[in-house]
Amino acid sequence: MNFFLEARNIRKTYARHEALRNVSIAVPPQSVFGLLGPNGAGKTSLIRIINQITAPDEGEVLFEGHHIKPEDVARIGYLPEERGLYKKMKVGEQCMYLAQLKGLSAADAKTKLKMWFNRFEISAWWDKKIEDLSKGMAQKVQFITTVLHEPQLLILDEPFSGFDPINAEMIREEMLRLKNEGATIILSTHDMGSVEELCDNIALINRAEVILNGSVKDIRNSFRTKTYRLEYEGLAMELGNALWANFELISNTHNGSHHVAEIQLKGDRKLNDLLGAIIPSVNLVSVNEIIPGMEEIFIQAVTQFDAQHA
Amino acid sequence: MHKIILIIKREYLTRVRKKSFLVMTFLGPLLFVGLTFGAMYLTMSDHNEYDVLISDPAGIISFRDQASGKIFSRYPERFKDGNQIRYFFTREVLEPDSFKTSPYNLLLELDDQTINDGNCNFFFKKLPGEMVTENIRAEVEESLERTRVTDKLALDYSLYKRAKLNVNLKEINIEKLGQEDKTQAKAMVGFAFAVLIYMFIFLYGVQVMRGVIEEKTNRIIEVIISSVKPFQLMMGKVIGIGMVGLTQFLMWVILSLVVGGFAFQFLQSDVTSGAAVIQNAQLAQQGVDTVDAADLSKNEIFSFILSINWPLMIGLFIFYFIGGYLLYGSIFAAIGAAVDNETDTQQFMLPVTIPLGLSYIVSAVLISNPESPVGLFFSIFPLTSPITMMVKVAIGAQWWFVLLSMLVLIAAFLFFIWMAGKIYRVGILMYGKKASFKELWKWLRYKY
Repeated sequence: MNFFLEARNIRKTYARHEALRNVSIAVPPQSVFGLLGPNGAGKTSLIRIINQITAPDEGEVLFEGHHIKPEDVARIGYLPEERGLYKKMKVGEQCMYLAQLKGLSAADAKTKLKMWFNRFEISAWWDKKIEDLSKGMAQKVQFITTVLHEPQLLILDEPFSGFDPINAEMIREEMLRLKNEGATIILSTHDMGSVEELCDNIALINRAEVILNGSVKDIRNSFRTKTYRLEYEGLAMELGNALWANFELISNTHNGSHHVAEIQLKGDRKLNDLLGAIIPSVNLVSVNEIIPGMEEIFIQAVTQFDAQHA
Repeated sequence: MHKIILIIKREYLTRVRKKSFLVMTFLGPLLFVGLTFGAMYLTMSDHNEYDVLISDPAGIISFRDQASGKIFSRYPERFKDGNQIRYFFTREVLEPDSFKTSPYNLLLELDDQTINDGNCNFFFKKLPGEMVTENIRAEVEESLERTRVTDKLALDYSLYKRAKLNVNLKEINIEKLGQEDKTQAKAMVGFAFAVLIYMFIFLYGVQVMRGVIEEKTNRIIEVIISSVKPFQLMMGKVIGIGMVGLTQFLMWVILSLVVGGFAFQFLQSDVTSGAAVIQNAQLAQQGVDTVDAADLSKNEIFSFILSINWPLMIGLFIFYFIGGYLLYGSIFAAIGAAVDNETDTQQFMLPVTIPLGLSYIVSAVLISNPESPVGLFFSIFPLTSPITMMVKVAIGAQWWFVLLSMLVLIAAFLFFIWMAGKIYRVGILMYGKKASFKELWKWLRYKY
């Protein structure tokens, strides 16, 4: 498979602190790649290496198959977590400046900016100073400056912070639209909801290492515990009696109209075995497999790793 | 290269367009000229009218007109009443209280010793300007001298005047025969250039530092350096702000010349004519052909101005100006990168302010002691040479010495820019860590 971006065996050490240890990630083209991990795990170090802000001690970064070159920065759009704009500068002027630093001509930058300002309905802000804008407004401007030069690779570090839910949704839609138009996106966030919603693949970095890596679907599947949620009518005691050693009743609650039970299959039992066992005793209303969310996976993977390396 | 020009353009335009820049550009020379000429105007010219009563009980410089019984100056060409000063004579000794209530503004008291020691008490109700006092003093001095010559020595005063000679020592460097040496005056010109460079480095160096801190606290730094190299950003900032400074100084020079020209025109009548009056009077007494003294001093100034090698001075001024600014500007940029806010800059400012301050002091010392060996060292040492060398060159320096100093400065600013670049690069992405010199040393050795 051809990857749009690959980082191979990256090692980066600051003084005595190791920021990245043998880190490899591979980002397929036209996909959203989630870069996850606890604070201080090394995400920002990796992002800075991809942006060529710093260089790795070892390892290499491949951009569309070639060694990343200084000129490639024009094809990357980077929204850092620590971001800001010149407070005293006017919005339009500032966007023009940042666009030209990315290599756009003045005329080109202006047309594209007009288009984006219309799309975000902020044309009236052109001559306003950044310091006169609210935080959310400034974030919109910042997002535009990140995507304006139509980068093939977008690196967004906590892009939703500072946005209200409506604007956050707008950014989400823009991300998906940009992806559909051909962009590859690296998304670093602690918001696991958006990871599930947006990401095709993820890498989880903890303590300078990649500890989990793959497509969101595969990872979630691999974390399945053969646990099902059953809604039923009847007596909880009946259900309990119907289950034998091969099924474990994790919980049983009543939601007002029905009982809700979470049951885990033991050994190589199948769902059919479970249903066969309980159908005689209770009236089933619904059965769903519980697939762990990224949040749980994150916590589980990190605590497990930390316990092993403590 | 294109990107660094964009950065220079932004740094330049955002500053030049600020209201404070315009205000400083127009008020700067007004303030400067206003302060210097204003002070001159206030001390030198005093437009009040003075009635001076001269109490001369011994009749040293006055005589009583037998017909009217009034007292007049003994020498009719002395103590002439002017627009500003009128003289009155008395033989009485006034009590302090009677002067207080009298209509006279000033009281000059000659006693019987005045003819010997030249001392006389000068009472005032309000201290007159220097010009007025000097006028009165000159009149008394001339009159006393005349009395001493004619009464005590029994000589013909006109003969005495002819015998009198003003002595003028012309300093000539044995290496430069045929030229009068004006080392000190030239050193002053060099010092003026040195002060300009000193001010410029401080004013705009601090602006570079503030600019870097602003980018750090705004958190725009990471956005920018994902598009350009940190070194480009640093150099763009240093150069852009340097150009703002050059623009401001250029405007100041032009405006100062214009405003100063007007002020000079306005003052000339007051100041130079005042000086000329005294000098003319002396020259006339000496029996020398009456020369327009104002013209004479103008000629001297003119020939002095011509005696300075302006192309060399201005050329070197621009060189040391730019070289010194680049060196210090990059240091200031590194300081800005090493801290989170301006209050943390103190500890790093010391190594900058000490050489700058010392170079200023040594430059001032060179004016009175041109051959000082400390001056030699300071003219070569790159942290001080941009300021001190201007005075040294004005005094006169060997070409190889100047060249050596220039080469050292070039090497030094390349080295400092390189070093500042390394500190800057690490520092701009470092937050919340209070940097120490030890820390900076570590940053210098980081691999990137």
